[in-house]
Amino acid sequence: MIWKTAWKNVWRNKIRSLVVIISVTIGIFGGVFAVAIMNGAIEQRVDAALNEEIAHIQINDPGFRDNYDIQLLVNNPVEVIDTILETPGVEAVSSRLVLTGMANTAASSTGVQILGIDPEAEKRVLQLYKTTIPGTGDFFEHESRHNLAYVGHALAKELKIVRYRIDKDVLDSLAARGVPAEVMDKLALFTGIRFKSEKSFKKAVKKVLSAKEQHDYGTAIREEAWSFRKRSKMTLTFLDSQQMQTGAVFRIAGIYDIKNTMYEMSQVLVKKEDLAVLANLDPDACHQLYIRIDDLENTEEVAGALAKKLPGLEVMHWKEIQPDLAMMTEMVQKFYAIFMVIILAALAFGIVNTMLMVVLERTKELGMLTAIGMNKKRVFNMIMLESVFLSLVGGVAGMLVSQLLIAATAKNGINFANYAEGLEAMGYPAHIYPVISTSFFVIVVMLIIITGILSSIYPAMKALKLDPAEALRTE
Amino acid sequence: MKVLEIKNVHKVYNSSEVKVHAVNDISLDFNKGEFAAIVGPSGSGKTTLLNMIGGLDKPSSGVILVDNTNLAELKSSGLIDFRMRNIGFVFQSYNLIPVLTAKENVEFIMGLQNRSRKEREERTRELLKAVGLEDRINSKPSKLSGGQQQRVAVARALASKPKFVLADEPTANLDSKSTETLLDIMEQLNREEGITFIFSTHDARVVKKARRVITIEDGKVISDERKH
Amino acid sequence: MNNLRLAWRNLWRNRRRTLITSASVFFAVFFALVMRSMQLGSYDYMYKNVIESYTGYIQLQHKDYWDERTVDNTFPFDPVLERQVLEDENVIATIPRFESFALASNGPKTKGVLVMGVDPEKEEHLSRILDKMVMYRLTPEAIREIEQDDRVPDKVKELLPLFEHTAYTNAGRLQLDLGIPDKEAPVLMPVIEEYSRFENGRIRMGEPGVWVGDKLSRYLELGIGDTIVLISQGYHATTAAGKYEIKGIVKLPLPDLDNKIAYLPLDICQGLYNAEHMLTSLALAVDDNQDKTIGATLERLSSMIPDNLRLMDWREMNEVMVSQMEADNKSGMIMLGILYLVIAFGVFGTVLMLTAERKREFGVLVAIGMQKKKLASVMTLEMLLVGLLGILAGALVASVMILYGVDHPIVFKGEMAKMWEDYGFEPKMAFWHIDTYYIWQAVIVGIMVLIAMGYPMRKIFGMKVVNALRA
Repeated sequence: MIWKTAWKNVWRNKIRSLVVIISVTIGIFGGVFAVAIMNGAIEQRVDAALNEEIAHIQINDPGFRDNYDIQLLVNNPVEVIDTILETPGVEAVSSRLVLTGMANTAASSTGVQILGIDPEAEKRVLQLYKTTIPGTGDFFEHESRHNLAYVGHALAKELKIVRYRIDKDVLDSLAARGVPAEVMDKLALFTGIRFKSEKSFKKAVKKVLSAKEQHDYGTAIREEAWSFRKRSKMTLTFLDSQQMQTGAVFRIAGIYDIKNTMYEMSQVLVKKEDLAVLANLDPDACHQLYIRIDDLENTEEVAGALAKKLPGLEVMHWKEIQPDLAMMTEMVQKFYAIFMVIILAALAFGIVNTMLMVVLERTKELGMLTAIGMNKKRVFNMIMLESVFLSLVGGVAGMLVSQLLIAATAKNGINFANYAEGLEAMGYPAHIYPVISTSFFVIVVMLIIITGILSSIYPAMKALKLDPAEALRTE
Repeated sequence: MKVLEIKNVHKVYNSSEVKVHAVNDISLDFNKGEFAAIVGPSGSGKTTLLNMIGGLDKPSSGVILVDNTNLAELKSSGLIDFRMRNIGFVFQSYNLIPVLTAKENVEFIMGLQNRSRKEREERTRELLKAVGLEDRINSKPSKLSGGQQQRVAVARALASKPKFVLADEPTANLDSKSTETLLDIMEQLNREEGITFIFSTHDARVVKKARRVITIEDGKVISDERKH
Repeated sequence: MNNLRLAWRNLWRNRRRTLITSASVFFAVFFALVMRSMQLGSYDYMYKNVIESYTGYIQLQHKDYWDERTVDNTFPFDPVLERQVLEDENVIATIPRFESFALASNGPKTKGVLVMGVDPEKEEHLSRILDKMVMYRLTPEAIREIEQDDRVPDKVKELLPLFEHTAYTNAGRLQLDLGIPDKEAPVLMPVIEEYSRFENGRIRMGEPGVWVGDKLSRYLELGIGDTIVLISQGYHATTAAGKYEIKGIVKLPLPDLDNKIAYLPLDICQGLYNAEHMLTSLALAVDDNQDKTIGATLERLSSMIPDNLRLMDWREMNEVMVSQMEADNKSGMIMLGILYLVIAFGVFGTVLMLTAERKREFGVLVAIGMQKKKLASVMTLEMLLVGLLGILAGALVASVMILYGVDHPIVFKGEMAKMWEDYGFEPKMAFWHIDTYYIWQAVIVGIMVLIAMGYPMRKIFGMKVVNALRA
C-alpha cells in the first residue's frame, strides 16, 4: 500500500517532479556517458596493446630486458616452445629476435628496434598484420629475393618513405569523390611536386584553401595524395653477434598503422631467417617468445604455470610488462566513481529541497494520516520511498539515454579528430567506441537508490516531528 | 463630486459549455465621502463587479470611470500606476508583505511613488496612529493579530491618498471584537477625513454601519438604499 | 524600501530553502574552483617542465630543419643577429645547440645515441643540465659501508639492495627511496650521502670531453675517464667520427632518454660533424612567458630574422603535448559543465516552488500598484543573492584550500609516483593561484540564475491579477 501511495505521490505535482527527474537524468547520463567514453578508450588501448603489440605473456632470458643484449638468447628454444605449447591455456606462441639498430633512407635516419619474426607463427599470436595499409604490401606473403621489412606508418613518414603528391591520378580520384572544381584548380598548382612530409603538405594546402574547404575536403585530399613507392628501400644497420657492425638493404613489404605513434616509430619487423643470417646467429635462435592465451582471466595462472616449467627463464605477463595498462583501468574506474558520487551529491540538494517542500505542503494530510493511525515508521517509509522513486525514475531514464547513445555510437565510434595527434602519441585511439560494463551500471543504480534514501532523511524527520493536532489546525 | 461612475457595465464569461452573464447591465455612481456596502450572495457578481471597479478586470461592455478616467483606456503599466495613485485596496487576507514591518508596509506605496523620506515617515506615523497602531509600527505581520493586520492594511490603502478605498470582505476572517474595532476606525476615517469606502461584504455588521447598501443578485442591482 | 532590501528580506522567509539552494551553488562552485586550480596548476607545471627543460619558448632554426632534422639543415651562427635578438626586451639569453644522432661505442658494444652539443653555462637558462649531474650513487661498496654503520636503522639497510647501482641527482630522491622520514633526515642523510657521494666532472667549451647518461654509461660499461667513440654522418655527407673522454655522468628523469644521451661542448660537437659554427637551433630564454607576451615577442623578432631562418614557438614544437593538454582541459570542462547543469536544475526547481507559493502575494502587490517590472527585478535580485551567497561561500572555502595548496602541492607516493617519474615529472599535484577562472564561476552561476528566472518572469508579466488573487 505504501509503495503504491508513494509512487502516486510522485506524480501529484508533475512539473516539480519533472524538474527533479530531468536533473537526475542529465546528471546520470552525463556521468555514465563520460565514463563510457573513457572506458572505451582504455579498453581499445588495452586491446590494441595485447593484440598488436605486446601479446599476453613474454618469455626471455632473465637479463635480457636490461639492455637487450644480443648475446642473451633463449637456451634450447625448440624445447622451450614445445613446453609452452603443452601448457593448458596457451593458444599460440611465436619466437622473435630483437636487435637495436638504425634505419636509414637518403632523407633521414633514426634508431629502431628490429624484430626478427616468423610470419606464420606471428600471425597466430598478434594481429598486427591486419593493420596493413592497403596497397602497401602483404605481411611477408610473397617470396622475394630482397630482404623484406614491415614498418610502422609513423616511421614511414619519418623516413620519407611515405610522401604526398598531387598529380593527374590524384585529381581524378578527388573529382570522383565529389571535390568541387575550384578546390581542384587550387590544388592543381601543386601538380608534380612531391611533398616529403605530411607537415609541409598540410602547410601548402592550408595556404591555398579556405578554412571551410580544408574542413570539408581535407581528409579526402590527404588520403588521395598519400603515396608510397612500392619499391621503397631502407637500410638497417646494427651489430651482429660478434659485435661487428653490419646491415643490409631492406625493401618495404608493407606499412602498418595502429594509431600508436611511439610503437610505429620504433618497431620494424623483418623475417627471422633473414635477420639471423645477417646477425650471424643460429636460424632457430630467439631472444623472446610471445604467447597468446585463450582467456585473459587466466593470465596469472598460465604465467605461473609457465614460470614453474621454465625455471631458467623470465616469464612476464602483460600486467607486469606494461603495468600502466592495468593501472589505467583501475585508476579511471576509481576516478569516475568519485565523479558519479559528486554528481549524485549535487543532485541530492535538489531532491532534499523538493522533498522538504513536499512534506511542508502536506502537513495537514500527514497530520491526518498520523491521527488515523499510521505509525511513524510507515510515514518515514512513505516519504523515503517517494524520494527513492523520484531518483530512480530520473536515474533509469538517464541510463536508458546513455545506453541508447552508446548503442548508437557503437558502430562508428566518436571521432576526436582534433585531438588525434595527442591521443595517438600516447597510444590511444582518436576514434573511440564508448562501452560500459554491466557491473558499473549496477553500481550506479545502487548509488542512485542510496542518494534517494539519504536525501529523504532530513525531510522525513521533519515529517515525523509534526504533531497531528497542530498539523490539523494549520490555516 | 463623483469619484466613481459605472455605466451600463456587463461582464460575460464564455466558458466552453455555458455563457455566464456575471454582471448584467449595472450602472452606479459614487460620490466623495460615501460609506457604501455592496451585498449579495456568492455567485451574485459582486466580486466580479468589485474587480472591475478596481481595474483588475475589464467589462465586456460599458464604461467605468474613476475620477473621470476610463479604466479600459489605460494600458497595463499605466493602469497599475493609476491604481496606485487613485484606488486603495483592502483584501480579505494576505494584504501585507510578510517580510516588512507595519511601518514599512504602509510606506511601501509611497516608496513606489518616490516620495521623500521625511514625507513618508510623517504620513506613516499619522496613518498608523489613525488606525490605533502607533505602538506596533515595527512589528511584522506574523506578530500581529488578524484584526491588527487588517488595520495596517487600511493604513496602507490610505497612504497614497486614493480617491476611494475598495474593501473586499475585509472582516470575513475576524472575530467580532476585531471587526468592531476595524469598522469603527473606518467609519471615523470616513467621518473625519472624508475618505470614501466601498465594501463588498456578507457581514451584517458591515451592512449595519454602511450608509448606502447596494444589493446585487444574478448580476443585477436589486436595491440601492441610502440610510441617514 | 528599495528593491535590494526587499529581496534580501524575502530570502529569509524560507530559511531552509534558501540555505539548501545556496548550499548547492556552494558545492558546485567549490568543486569547480578546486578542480580548475588543480588543472591549471598541473598544466602550467607540465608545460613549464617540458618546455623549459628542452625546447624553450622560442627557437630559431633553419627553415627546413623542423621537417627534416638533418645535419645539412643547419644554419651559421650570426653574432650580429644574436645581439639584435638579445636587445629585445623579453629575451634574457640565447642558447645555441647542435643536436644529432650518432652511434656510440666502447669497442665491443654499440648503441644509437642522441648527441647534444651545448654550451653548459648557457643551458642553465633552459635545460639546467648542471642540476642533472649525478651526485650520489649506491654502488656495491657504498652499500657495504652503509650496512656496517650502526647509525643507520635496519629498515633502511633492508631497502639498500633494491637500489643497488642507482644514481641520484639530488638527496631528496635518495631520502625518499630509502624511506627515511623527514624528522630523521637531518641525522641520517649526511651519513648516507658521505658513503654514496659521486665524484663528477665538467665539460667546458673548447675542451674535448663528453657527459653521458647514467643508463648509457652502465650499458657501455664506461665510467669517468673512459673513452667513448662517436660515429655519424656529418655535414654534406662527410664522415663524422671522434673519440672523447667521459668527464661526467648525468641522470635524466626519462629513462628512455637517459640510456641514449651524450652531451658535448658545442664547439667540439660542431667539429665532430664538420659543421663549424653551425647550429641546429638557437633557443631563447624569455623573461615573461605569458602567451600574450610571447606572441608580441615573436612579432617583434620576425622582422629581424632572415629568410633562411624560421622562428618556432613552443606550441609548434610541442604540438603533441599541447594536443594532450587540450583534450584533458576540454574533458575537465565538460565534467564541470555536467555538474553545473545539475545544480542549475536544482536552482530552477527552487524558483518554481517560490513562484507557485507566492502567486497570491504577487497579485496583491500588483493590485496595490507595484509595477510588474519592479516585482520582477525584486525576484531576480532574490535569486541572484542566493547564488551570490553560494558563490561567496564556495570561493571562500576553495580559496583556503587553494592558497594552502599553492605552497604545499599534493605529493604522490607509491605506484602513482613512480609512473609520473617515468614520464619525467615530479609526482606532485600543483595548484594554480587565484585568477580569472574565479570570475568565470560567478558568470556561470549568474547566467544559470538568469535563465532560471525566465519562468517567473513569464508568470509575472503574463499574470492576470484577478486570477492571482484567487489563488
